[in-house]
Amino acid sequence: MFGLDYSWLADPAYQNWLVTGVINTLELAALSSSVAILIGMLGALGLSLRVFWLDALIEFFVEVFRNTPPLLQMLFAYFTLSTLGLKTTDPVTGLEVPLLSAFACACISLSLFGGALAIEAFRSGLETMPKAITEAGRSLGYSRWARFWRIEVPIASRVCLPSLTNILTNLFKTTSQASVITVPELMYYAGQIYNDTFRTLEVMILILIIYVVLVSILSYGMSRLEAYLTLPGYGKGQ
Amino acid sequence: MTKFGKLAVSAVALASAVAANSAVADTLEDVIARDTLIVGVKNDYPPYGYLNDAGETVGFEVELAKYVAKELLGSPDKIELVPVVAANRIQFLEAGRVDVIFATLGVTDQRDEVIDFTVHYVSAAGPSVLMPEATTVNSWEQLEGQPICGIQGSYYNKKMTEEFGINLVNFKNQADAYRALKDNRCIGFVFDDMTLQKKLEEADWSEYKIAVAPYEFLPMAGGLREDDPAFAEAVNNAIVKAEGEGKLIEWETEFGMPHSDYIAKRAEAAAAQN
Repeated sequence: MFGLDYSWLADPAYQNWLVTGVINTLELAALSSSVAILIGMLGALGLSLRVFWLDALIEFFVEVFRNTPPLLQMLFAYFTLSTLGLKTTDPVTGLEVPLLSAFACACISLSLFGGALAIEAFRSGLETMPKAITEAGRSLGYSRWARFWRIEVPIASRVCLPSLTNILTNLFKTTSQASVITVPELMYYAGQIYNDTFRTLEVMILILIIYVVLVSILSYGMSRLEAYLTLPGYGKGQ
Repeated sequence: MTKFGKLAVSAVALASAVAANSAVADTLEDVIARDTLIVGVKNDYPPYGYLNDAGETVGFEVELAKYVAKELLGSPDKIELVPVVAANRIQFLEAGRVDVIFATLGVTDQRDEVIDFTVHYVSAAGPSVLMPEATTVNSWEQLEGQPICGIQGSYYNKKMTEEFGINLVNFKNQADAYRALKDNRCIGFVFDDMTLQKKLEEADWSEYKIAVAPYEFLPMAGGLREDDPAFAEAVNNAIVKAEGEGKLIEWETEFGMPHSDYIAKRAEAAAAQN
């Protein structure tokens, strides 16, 4: 159809590469998303404590990791950290080798990048809290901690879910940049396959479909979560 | 005529123009009309195409490209050099962004299906493996399961992983791969033998050697779009003329390449023909 040639898909080597690529992409996305959410929660919690030095520290973290391209962060982690001394000795060869593998570098930089964005998302959720609600909590005798865990977090996490979905889908797509530091994910193998077969268009179309399907599953799951957690009278609860 | 109708007519006109274009491409006419030959060359691949200390693109294939420009347009300066890499050179050619590529292009059957080749002007050694001096490895089989740096998109990558079972760690460019080898992220770097030989001449690389020799020799040629006979003939005539004048042997000397029998024989044959 349309003169597209997918005969290369019959080659077991290419099938293998695509499957490995998808698995590595999923692993990278799952790991870095989880850590990013954790960083986001801890960061927003830190900011809500209103401690001067902690605020400054978290804001500095957000500025650094939100304002630099994840590609640069990955290259920095991959090539520079080992030069700065993050090395270990290989027990087999006795050679000095970098401590962090390519996958670890990609995972760390994606987690920090996503985490910086997530902090802001969670913070926006906490800050939109109507004053009346916290005051109601206080008049009912809730302590500062009880208010945070039992009132603010449940409401804020619902409010920030849509922007968290944005961050996670973006993070998923950003995993494709890890091919630059040799993480064999989907784009890494896609490039090799179209260089071998010269079926650039066909490979690109297939990869595009795979990404659309995977990211759609993620955003569908997030929208189901949103519906499940909805606040009566707000958003999908109207 | 409605707006939509006009749009439809112009779309059909455009489509037929494109169709006509791809059926009887005449790059030669375009090149002469433009008075410039646009050539895809390497600029990170000594001795074939690289940047010299003054930042100019020079090299064996760059000289060849200039010679072809001189033959077609009367001056070696009527040329535009477009830097390409292995991963995009065929796409550049197919998309019409360059007229011809002289970019360390090995002649393979798979490539022959999508582009045409010029005469094969070089017989180049295939990939070899650069490793630290101390290594005891000397054959491809010993590399099974080992992490070896490489370049994304190289034609031999599939053979490396599927046949030799090498655990390839592929980078986008050579600079990153050399760096990773020095960082011990891999135990060797598999790449085009000629380039690795040149690398060994650099002082930083004195503690390294070519541990595994190439398993094949591959003819190298320029790349042309398919079904473009007039242009192909003109380019081939220019290359054979350069061969007959002994230019390729001069360029071997100029760019520090070992003199190959292949080029010498082609020069003899071309000179006899002229």
